[in-house]
Amino acid sequence: MPISAAEPLLDIRGLEAGYGKIAVLHGVDMTIGAGEVVTLLGPNGAGKTTLLRAISGLVPWNAGGVTFAGLNLAGIGPRETARRGLAHVIEGHRIFTNQTVTDNLLLAAYDVPRAERDARVDEALSYFPEIAAKRYDRGSTLSGGQQQMLAVAQGLVRQPKLLMLDEPSAGLSPVLVDRVLAVVTKLQKTGTAVLLVEQLIEKALAVADRVYALAQGKIVLQASTDEVDLPRRLEHAYFGSEAA
Amino acid sequence: MPISSESAAGTMQEKSLAGIGSWMFAGPLILIFCLASLVPFVTNDYWVLIATRAAIYWVLVGALNLVIGFAGQLAIGYVALLTLGAYTTSVLVAGNVSPPVPVFAALAIAGVAGAIFGVIVGLPALRLRTFYFAISTLGFATIITQIALAWQSVTGGGIGLPGPEMPAPFHTHAGFYFFCLAAAGLITWMTANIAHSRFGRGLIAVRDADVAAEATGIRKARLLMTIFVFTGASAAIAGGLFAALQTYITPDAFTFDLSVLFFISILIGGRGSILGPLLGTVILTLLPEFAAPLAAWSTFLYAVLLLAIVLVAPGGIAALLDFGNRRALLANRTIVPKAALVGHLLATDKAKSGIALRGVVLSFLGVRAIDGVDLDVEAGKIHGLIGPNGSGKTTILNVISGFYGPEAGSIALGGEALKPGDSESRASQGIARTFQTPRIVGEASVLQNVMIGGTIRGQSTFVESLFCLPRHRGDERTLRSEAMTALSAVGLESLADIRADRLQHSELRFMEIARACMARPTFILLDEPAAGLSADEILRLGQFVKAISRQGTGVLLVEHHADLIFDTCDYVTVLNLGRVLAQGTPAEIRVHKEVISAYLGG
Amino acid sequence: MLASIIASGLAVGAVYALIGVTYNTMFSASRVMSFTAGQLGMLGGVFGSLFVLRLGLPLVVGLMLMLVCCAIVGLITEFIAVRPVLKSLDQHLYVLSTLALALMIQQVVAVEWSTEPQAFPRVFGIGGGGILDEKFWLPVLTCAVTICALELLYRRTLTGLAFLAIAEDNFAARALGLPERNLRMASYALAGMIGGLAGFSGGQLLLAFVANGPLLNFYGFVPVALGGLGNNRGAIVGGFALGLFQQAANFLVGGIFSSVAVFMLFIVVLLAAPRGLFGGHLARRV
Repeated sequence: MPISAAEPLLDIRGLEAGYGKIAVLHGVDMTIGAGEVVTLLGPNGAGKTTLLRAISGLVPWNAGGVTFAGLNLAGIGPRETARRGLAHVIEGHRIFTNQTVTDNLLLAAYDVPRAERDARVDEALSYFPEIAAKRYDRGSTLSGGQQQMLAVAQGLVRQPKLLMLDEPSAGLSPVLVDRVLAVVTKLQKTGTAVLLVEQLIEKALAVADRVYALAQGKIVLQASTDEVDLPRRLEHAYFGSEAA
Repeated sequence: MPISSESAAGTMQEKSLAGIGSWMFAGPLILIFCLASLVPFVTNDYWVLIATRAAIYWVLVGALNLVIGFAGQLAIGYVALLTLGAYTTSVLVAGNVSPPVPVFAALAIAGVAGAIFGVIVGLPALRLRTFYFAISTLGFATIITQIALAWQSVTGGGIGLPGPEMPAPFHTHAGFYFFCLAAAGLITWMTANIAHSRFGRGLIAVRDADVAAEATGIRKARLLMTIFVFTGASAAIAGGLFAALQTYITPDAFTFDLSVLFFISILIGGRGSILGPLLGTVILTLLPEFAAPLAAWSTFLYAVLLLAIVLVAPGGIAALLDFGNRRALLANRTIVPKAALVGHLLATDKAKSGIALRGVVLSFLGVRAIDGVDLDVEAGKIHGLIGPNGSGKTTILNVISGFYGPEAGSIALGGEALKPGDSESRASQGIARTFQTPRIVGEASVLQNVMIGGTIRGQSTFVESLFCLPRHRGDERTLRSEAMTALSAVGLESLADIRADRLQHSELRFMEIARACMARPTFILLDEPAAGLSADEILRLGQFVKAISRQGTGVLLVEHHADLIFDTCDYVTVLNLGRVLAQGTPAEIRVHKEVISAYLGG
Repeated sequence: MLASIIASGLAVGAVYALIGVTYNTMFSASRVMSFTAGQLGMLGGVFGSLFVLRLGLPLVVGLMLMLVCCAIVGLITEFIAVRPVLKSLDQHLYVLSTLALALMIQQVVAVEWSTEPQAFPRVFGIGGGGILDEKFWLPVLTCAVTICALELLYRRTLTGLAFLAIAEDNFAARALGLPERNLRMASYALAGMIGGLAGFSGGQLLLAFVANGPLLNFYGFVPVALGGLGNNRGAIVGGFALGLFQQAANFLVGGIFSSVAVFMLFIVVLLAAPRGLFGGHLARRV
């Protein structure tokens, strides 16, 4: 469905969400356009993971609204959002260790028509030749980095319009981090939008078009990645108001 | 002076609140027993027998209430102890294995047997999860019945044997009824005393917040075993009385349905209550009498009631009768701690020296969470512990609290080694803590939650509490007033009698801090206390923490909020990937290059 | 004698093993142990007797109907006793809700069917009542076939893979977009059918008897305790071992003390290895 350049792919307005009594997000505004790579930075405990979970429907909202490709996501769970083209790769490379690489990808293709499943699996594996070689090996035999690649591949099986990655670099060596981020760039060329939550600021800025910073449940910074004094502004956002 | 007049007024208010509270508690119970004593005068023999049955059941259920309702151990097969008591008493009185024993002595011996067997039935609870333990009690019930059937020479096998006959004046229906009613009253009084003691609070802490219970020094195994002894003895004595009521017992009389009745009475009544299960027992005993055609379906009805309670009203009758907690709370409450009161809370002999960690190593599933950490927390200072996610901050707290024992390295307090993995001793050694997510007893009041923190400072023994002896009353008065002071210090005194699960998240955090202060600790470990707090609340938290340290209590503060750390801490340690990255004053850390890059990555 | 012990031990052990698998299937889908597992075994026998003997339906039809009815009971368990309590934070509620449902099932059968054991029909009519009679090898055969079918399901079908995924990491499965709730319902229906099969195949041994419910609850749970929660292979081994042990004890010390012996074994194993002999589930507390 063609979306005009003016209309963002993902539009978040005043989103408030949390876990039970603990309110984590206190009114978040964010937009992502089709084919854009946006990175979301922020200190620990800021709510980045909660924001992604709220978007994909894993966590309920208390207030606000999210629209994705023209669809209102209120009350919609992860199965529906995945079907509509929003893939969420959760943090911690949680793949199914007791099953093979291929089975992991087939599970990601659960809602895909049977005839297309194998093709989608092959396509996802084409981004990660390292694990394509291990397609019949069980998930538990993969290294941490390979498991992370598998997790991203799972997201790709759906051919999403927007791929959300939650800290894909966690626990990975620098080489593997570059591999994963290279895939992000490749995806952008195919027109897939990416929302990248990251701890490694320089690498994330290198691959993204725009950046948001989240602190204590609110957006504190919003900029294009080619702006000049970004590092200093980010330090501010991380460490709060000037101390000394 | 302002503080003393505040506290004087506070004490008077506390006394009157406590007074009203205990009348509200005791009133309905006294009323029930008064009404019950009228039964022989207003009804016929049949109903006296039914009432006797209810009283005998309550002698068992009232005690079982401590196991199921308070301790949360789902002992479904408790008819086993009724059977044991019934047969022991009957066999002793009948003289099958020994010269005939007088009834009261036989009851006492049955009580002892019940105490021993109660411990045996209860032992698995210490190791097994809920479902496993429930099934194991069912197994015990079956075993006892099988033994009763098989041991014909003693128990008469399937034929059974006569129950004990009571001596005058208890041999008439009315006489026996009053005896049983007195026993029921005694059980009510004793269990009510326990409920309002540190033992009862300890039980509900073990049930709902067992990690916090360990950290406050509650010894779970000892406490549970004590309860199993009491309940076993009580249940066996109930069994003896049951045999006297039936006048003749066979194994058939002790059905699984009875166990179900006992169990469901407590749950319908509501956990943590005395009145609820009492009403539940009375209702379930009387129900089949009023609905004769339903007699065959009585167990089905009990099961439907249980399901309804679980799905609709998990708090049972007690929650339905809890009018105090229906009052609406003010919507925009603010927490206003009074740092000045901290002096009343924490007057201790000042700590000699600090906590020292040397070369601590700990792994989970092959990954090193802590990779050789040296840490010194000075007495009376606020020490911050920060670091990116996964750096090992909370794990360090957990090692100091004794929840995990390190693979290598040592922990010492004031020069003396702290036993690794011994979480239950930390409170008495002077270390208290709060948790990343508040671990509280939702169904108990805020005041009770805070009083749990002072458990180790109680002096009275279980027996003294059972009989409401002076030392128990003194303990309760002291703990109550100290808890009110703690609540006033954190600014929550107006919420003292409110159920804890009605509080906002930030209020629960302060409540946990009040609870931690109750143990008069030399060190308080705070695990991300600012998470979920508003900016104002964080400021007040900072002031409160500073007040704590001014009293000489050391604070180890794990946090993400940079503001709080830099404003309050005297010294900061930065962790990264399980190792110490940097240490120094907040100002030094703030500009430390490696720290900045660890947080910002790259 | 030895042959008789082995024949009856394996037969009754197969029934216990299948009930253990029933427990595990429900557990894998929901992290909840259910008291209805044993009741499903009882219902397998009762429905079999009801449809084939009392209503006179052909055996195959009776079997199919029994499977449908037991699947429905499984679904009812999920809907009434499990789903509502999964949302609450209170750990112990599932014990109570499944216990209540199990009691209700038991009472309905006791009142409407009978409290006495009722006859169960012959299935194939093979064997003259000796050691090779069908009442001994039918449960074992059913157990073997069921295990093979489950293996096929779990390894070869996408739905089976999804069951395994939900069992391993429920949250990740949800995040991936798997229909977690439907899969859980399907698991419970499947568990219902397995329990029913256990009771049906063992019907000639255990008869259609309402007291089988609590009996199978306990004896079907022992293999789970021995083998570790969620571990089907452990449950199978544990089930057969239990069956043989119980029949041997029956022969050596008599019926009443054999149940004491089994219970002692259960308690001793659990206290020594709370997570089962083959290991099970470990969760961090703090």
